Amino acid sequence: MDERIYDLIFICRPATPEEEVNKIVATLEHSTGEHGGKIEKTERWGTRRLAYRVAKHREGFFVYMVIKSTQEGDLIKELERRLKVSDAVIKYQTIRLDEELKRQQKLAKHRERRAGRRPRKQAPGAPPPAQPQQQVPAAAAE
Amino acid sequence: MSDQPATPAPQGAPSAPARSDGHTGGPPRRSEGHSGGGGSGPRREGGGPGGPGGPGGGPGGPRRGGKRQYFRKKKVCRFCVEHVDFIDYKKVEMLQPFVQERGKILPRRMTGTCSRHQRWLGEAIKRARNIALLPFATEL
Repeated sequence: MDERIYDLIFICRPATPEEEVNKIVATLEHSTGEHGGKIEKTERWGTRRLAYRVAKHREGFFVYMVIKSTQEGDLIKELERRLKVSDAVIKYQTIRLDEELKRQQKLAKHRERRAGRRPRKQAPGAPPPAQPQQQVPAAAAE
Repeated sequence: MSDQPATPAPQGAPSAPARSDGHTGGPPRRSEGHSGGGGSGPRREGGGPGGPGGPGGGPGGPRRGGKRQYFRKKKVCRFCVEHVDFIDYKKVEMLQPFVQERGKILPRRMTGTCSRHQRWLGEAIKRARNIALLPFATEL
């Protein structure tokens, strides 16, 4: 199976002690490892204002992770189950990103190629019509 | 535009003065007509042959010629200019200008975003909403 990249964000209650957040991150890391995945990045965004009330909270502690999964399995299912179970977490979201990243790379590559080609394209574009014209009179002369 | 109705109209003579009236005093009469609808009715009927030209000439009246001549600056997709290949839902400050105060996604015609980027943008905004980075609708 192809490698899959996921974005995982979860929001803890603002009053959650730091250790509890660490514990959740640790359990997620552990179960990711068990299911043949890898956590590429963990970012703590800290306490932020929520755009709307979630579980009666107006603020939340955001944790952002990038997860790479190489193996077929229920990695995300397991992670989401763990997040659902833990009381401190009030919201979570997992998004599969590898396809979009692939698209991004493809577009970037395409643009690069086009940018590289554009000046050249005009140069070879002009001669081809000229060449047959030269050949035709030559053939007629012969 | 003003010439067209004048030539085919059989009542060219009566309609022409009516229209000239409309041209000279068109905009003020209109404003009166808005307040008192009854007064403007017969006048419009009187200018019946010139009717198609009349309404067209009305808004364009002050500008002459009857054609709507207002130029809108062509909007360019901001993402295309910057060669954005991926719109990140986590960058809230970047998404904010494309969302109304109440949390609605702004239409393309307002922002000038191209269709492809608007599609990506919509998706990004929805993702951001899901994780409480952007509001679905702001509470009052």
